[in-house]
Amino acid sequence: MNKTVSIIITLGLLVALFIIFSGNSTSTNNDVNQVDSGQNIEMKNGIQYITIKTGGGYSPNISSAKAGIPTKLIMKTSGSFDCSSALVIRSINYQQMLPQTGETEIDLGISKAGAPIQGICGMGMYNFVVNFN
Amino acid sequence: MIKKYKFHVTGTHCASCKILIEDVLEEQGFIKNSKVDLKREIVEVETERTYTTPELAEILTKELKPHGYVLYAEKIIQDKKDNGVIWTAIPVGLVFLILFFLLQRSGILNLGIGGQMTPTTGFIIGIIASLSSCLAIVGGLVLSLSVKVAKDENGSVKKPFILFHISRLFGFVILGGVLGLIGETIGISFTFSAILGLIASLVMILLGINLLGILKKGTITLPSNIFSFFRKVEHATWAPVLIGVGTFFLPCGFTQSMQIAALSSGSFMSGLLIMSAFALGTLPVLALLSFGSVSFAHGKHATLFFKSAGVVVIGFGLFALLAGLAGLGIIKPLFSI
Repeated sequence: MNKTVSIIITLGLLVALFIIFSGNSTSTNNDVNQVDSGQNIEMKNGIQYITIKTGGGYSPNISSAKAGIPTKLIMKTSGSFDCSSALVIRSINYQQMLPQTGETEIDLGISKAGAPIQGICGMGMYNFVVNFN
Repeated sequence: MIKKYKFHVTGTHCASCKILIEDVLEEQGFIKNSKVDLKREIVEVETERTYTTPELAEILTKELKPHGYVLYAEKIIQDKKDNGVIWTAIPVGLVFLILFFLLQRSGILNLGIGGQMTPTTGFIIGIIASLSSCLAIVGGLVLSLSVKVAKDENGSVKKPFILFHISRLFGFVILGGVLGLIGETIGISFTFSAILGLIASLVMILLGINLLGILKKGTITLPSNIFSFFRKVEHATWAPVLIGVGTFFLPCGFTQSMQIAALSSGSFMSGLLIMSAFALGTLPVLALLSFGSVSFAHGKHATLFFKSAGVVVIGFGLFALLAGLAGLGIIKPLFSI
């Protein structure tokens, strides 16, 4: 193949790869908006519950919740076997395989402004963030 | 009477290759003196015996082959052709990578599989896993090692691949049974498998660069012991066995889910059945990668295949490296695929 043609094609392909990687993950399992609209946050008896669905990634990817109140994370799995069920949250030293189907409650304590919680799967390919403000 | 012979040499990618070749040659009793010119890739020897140049090249190659060097009586004019191939290989490899990551993005593989864990579901999950992003790490490792072996052995050896796949199956069967027997979380550590994954990704990147052959001799030299280590490992029987069993511990969400399923299955037999069904499900794709490499290494487009595989392996290696570092919390996650 001609060198110049090859370089042009290569650059095009690299851009395509970059777009694939930088786009938001889409998943058939999750129809919730990727960037939160506050729908996954619920107050019950003075405790803030943040629900994150797993399966082919985490949804929503980014949530924002209120700071300064007791907060719990609910991880919802439904028949997921991929990396997303191997959940790691470094900041609270959480490292657990989620059940294939079910809900797992994780206590985050009292949320602090400016201290976002980041969850990542064991292999590092999926992640989610909860911001507090 | 002392006679001088001159050979062309291939396989010299390190500065210390000179010393190694000269050492090996001078260990042969009948070689009086040897000199290696790395820049011109020429080996000169002096001996009292009389041979034709091709004859002596063959005799000495027998001694040098285990170290990865081959002597030729005439210079093989391959370099020019090789340099052209890389310009085709890079786009080919990239297209493959794009298709792979598009498949991950498409969500096709995110089937929700519920209900009771049976060997049948284990098998189906195995097939899905072998096409999932786990392929980037397990498949990338299999591909890079297979292509390396196929290339070095001229594609004539199938034994290491058969050993690898059999050991992998056996490893999953036995370890699955053990998990079922123990029946409680012995803590399959994420950190442990993440570190294994990092090592695998570095091996992939290194082998990928080697397959591309872009390291111009003389400009960048890699430490010779790394490659001679690989060479020794390739020729050892225990290596494919160890790597085969080792895939059990490589980071892959599916494998870890199945390990948990085996754990909670409650008996040696059920754990064994679940894990072996899973391993059987992953077999077709992995077998295709390794035996495909062998047949491509025989084919007309061997050079193109080696270099394209190099691009794919480097891509997988980088992906696994960045993901692994993010998983360990060393860097911020750069992507969520």
